[in-house]
Amino acid sequence: MIQAVIQTLMGIIGAFGFALLFNVRRGKLVAVSLGAGVCWVVYLLVYSNCQDKVISLLFATMAAALISEVLARVMKAPVTILLVPILIPLIPGSDLFYTTSNLVRGDAVQSAYYGSLVLKEAGAIAFGIILVPCIGQIIMKIWRLLRNILQGGKR
Amino acid sequence: MENKERILNAILDAGEIMLASGGEINRVENTIGHMAAAYGYARVDVFAVISCIVVTIRDGEGNCATQSRRIAARDTNMRKVERINALSRRVCREKVSLEELEREIEDIRHAQGYSDWTILLMYGVISAVFTVFFGGGLGDAIGSFISGIIMRIVQKLGIWLKIQSIILNIFCSGAAALVAIWMVRLGVARSVDMIVIGNIMPLIPGIALTVSLRDLLWGDFISGLTGVCEALIKALAIAGGCALVILQFGGGL
Repeated sequence: MIQAVIQTLMGIIGAFGFALLFNVRRGKLVAVSLGAGVCWVVYLLVYSNCQDKVISLLFATMAAALISEVLARVMKAPVTILLVPILIPLIPGSDLFYTTSNLVRGDAVQSAYYGSLVLKEAGAIAFGIILVPCIGQIIMKIWRLLRNILQGGKR
Repeated sequence: MENKERILNAILDAGEIMLASGGEINRVENTIGHMAAAYGYARVDVFAVISCIVVTIRDGEGNCATQSRRIAARDTNMRKVERINALSRRVCREKVSLEELEREIEDIRHAQGYSDWTILLMYGVISAVFTVFFGGGLGDAIGSFISGIIMRIVQKLGIWLKIQSIILNIFCSGAAALVAIWMVRLGVARSVDMIVIGNIMPLIPGIALTVSLRDLLWGDFISGLTGVCEALIKALAIAGGCALVILQFGGGL
């Protein structure tokens, strides 16, 4: 438990640091860091239930995408500039490093293991990023359709 | 006629800044399309890949103009992406004169970011934070902070000397690993592994890899494949730098 709290805190500070490196404006730094904290909490919660890194990453990414879509509407900013810093704790940087590090040192088996892991993880994140706006579009379309039908019925 | 070329040039400037600052390919294409439409062009064809933009605009009488732009270097600067985005929304909403558009774009191009000292401090902070994130102790975090800062100094020096970026990555991660080994020998930190994994976080192109995969899923195959390839080569360089130093001086890893 205490480990999870420390990890979340570190994720928040890390996202703050990366947001500074990415030149995110001052007004958005706090929102972005907290968003990163929330998405790491989602990751830990899903992981404690299903014990699967890739599935947890997918759900955490969807949470991150949802948060940044909402924040983007509120702050009138493009989604990417919020989404990328929020994703920081999820990014499989360490596994990417282990892949190439094992390759350089000649351990092909370990390198292949980490390599396939990285592809799955980054793929899950990329899929999550695309999935949320698509679902949003579908819901909006159905909502408009329903509203039109209901209003048409009243008249 | 000259006016059309000037408008196209200004719009391409905007697209170039956005692409070079880490905007997504389809956002860049949409922004250029919207801006050209706002200046009254009937048809706009945009083709953007990670290193190049080609735009053709056609007015109502069928006169065409085409320009292309090569994008040499890219980094991530969210402030510029945001400001170009805001500018293109403004252009679509109201009438912005060409002179004003050019002035605004120049202004955005030379916009100041956070100071070098802030970035230097953040390299240390990010290194320390991710060392703890992956399970390191307090001593490891201190060692990681110091070696993160030294890594940034090496990087800045390399940029000043105009060292090719892949080679510079090897030097940076090598320097960081050297400091990490030194920290363990001094007794500040316990584990070289933990320091190194925190250290490489500001360098490793994890975001580039993820974003490129998103481009691939989105259907931008050229940009996606280029980005994935670039990320892999960079990661190889970083791992190579680390491994060289650790095998030479540090024993196992």
